Amino acid sequence: MIDRAFDLLLIGGMLGLAVQVVASRALFRSVVLFIALGLLMAVVWARLAAPDLALAEAAIGAGLTGALLLAAYRALQPAGEAGDAEPAALPRRWALVAAVLSGALVAAIGWAVLGLEPPAASAGREALARLGESGVKSPITAVLLSFRAVDTLAEVVVLFAAFLGARVVAEPLGRAGPGPRPDPAGGEPVLMPLLLRVTVPMGVLVAGYLLWSGGHQPGGAFQAGAVLAALGVLLRLTGRLQPVAETSPAERLALVGGIVLFSAIGLAGAGMASAVLAYPEGWAYTLILLIETGLTLAIALPLTLLFSGSAGLRWRGR
Amino acid sequence: MTVAEWLSVGALALGAAFFFTGTVGLLRFPGTFARLHALTKADNLGLGCVALGLALQADSAWVAAKLALVWGVALVAATVSAHLIARYTLRERGGTGRAPP
Repeated sequence: MIDRAFDLLLIGGMLGLAVQVVASRALFRSVVLFIALGLLMAVVWARLAAPDLALAEAAIGAGLTGALLLAAYRALQPAGEAGDAEPAALPRRWALVAAVLSGALVAAIGWAVLGLEPPAASAGREALARLGESGVKSPITAVLLSFRAVDTLAEVVVLFAAFLGARVVAEPLGRAGPGPRPDPAGGEPVLMPLLLRVTVPMGVLVAGYLLWSGGHQPGGAFQAGAVLAALGVLLRLTGRLQPVAETSPAERLALVGGIVLFSAIGLAGAGMASAVLAYPEGWAYTLILLIETGLTLAIALPLTLLFSGSAGLRWRGR
Repeated sequence: MTVAEWLSVGALALGAAFFFTGTVGLLRFPGTFARLHALTKADNLGLGCVALGLALQADSAWVAAKLALVWGVALVAATVSAHLIARYTLRERGGTGRAPP
């Protein structure tokens, strides 16, 4: 009874927020409501007993996407105007075209899904039944890095391609990213150094724990990468990390290292194990942990750099 | 029900009341400072009461410690964000002459 009421409240909240995100006249309001929508979405995933998705949604969907949207909002503001000037909105007729097209797409997909026969043997049950073959105890990690490793590899490549695309079209450094760079040497809120002293070590610890726990419980490279990226955003906003126009060799290594490592181990699987992207007998857990470590960096760094709007970052303590 | 359960229900109800009044204050109070004042009560006391109520029902001391940690981390986040918002608002109104932060 109370569960049903809670679910109805969630659904109502999601729908109400979604309508307001689209219909709101002020872009800033839309962005803030979209972040709230992401947080509610995380609660929905938790209610559906999908803690992996809930973690990823809260960290990436609400947290980092929100930060990216706010940075984009600022970059859209007309140059030279201070503070609260609203960026020019999309003309109404184009908004109408986009709304009709996406509405038609949703209706078509919904129609197709409703017409599907429920499969007799779902892939999920088979994956659960053969969990022992994967080398890890968490079914999610088994699917992501063993049964459907090719999807995960493609996802990280997409993230890298998005970063490259953003660099290609990037505006000059001054306009991109989160606004005037605060100088850590002076005029900083008194609580900020204290917060960083607590948050940064704790965040690194949490990221490491999430990465390690992916082997046997919810967690893994995506969640750990998102936490590291959030720390990057925090350090960039407080001026500890300053944007620069060149990518250092270490950053290049982190950007492509995970993809190269994943591909190399996957290709080696053709000779050493049964197939491409298969792991040799007995090595699965070690290799998966190694790949996930590389992927964590390959996820965290592009996200931070996308937020920063720069090609690289340099440490500048105080 | 046992005494612990009654205490737990009381703490949860008190927490809910704090959140309710905090939300009403956030929506109805005029000005940033008054709203911050309302919000921080809900965040700090309300969440503290809810965490206490849940800790009383927890199976082990370990779970209760985790709830206490959640409260502590939320306190730090609420303190810093309230400080930053208040500081920004003060500067917006030309209050920068008043002391270093």
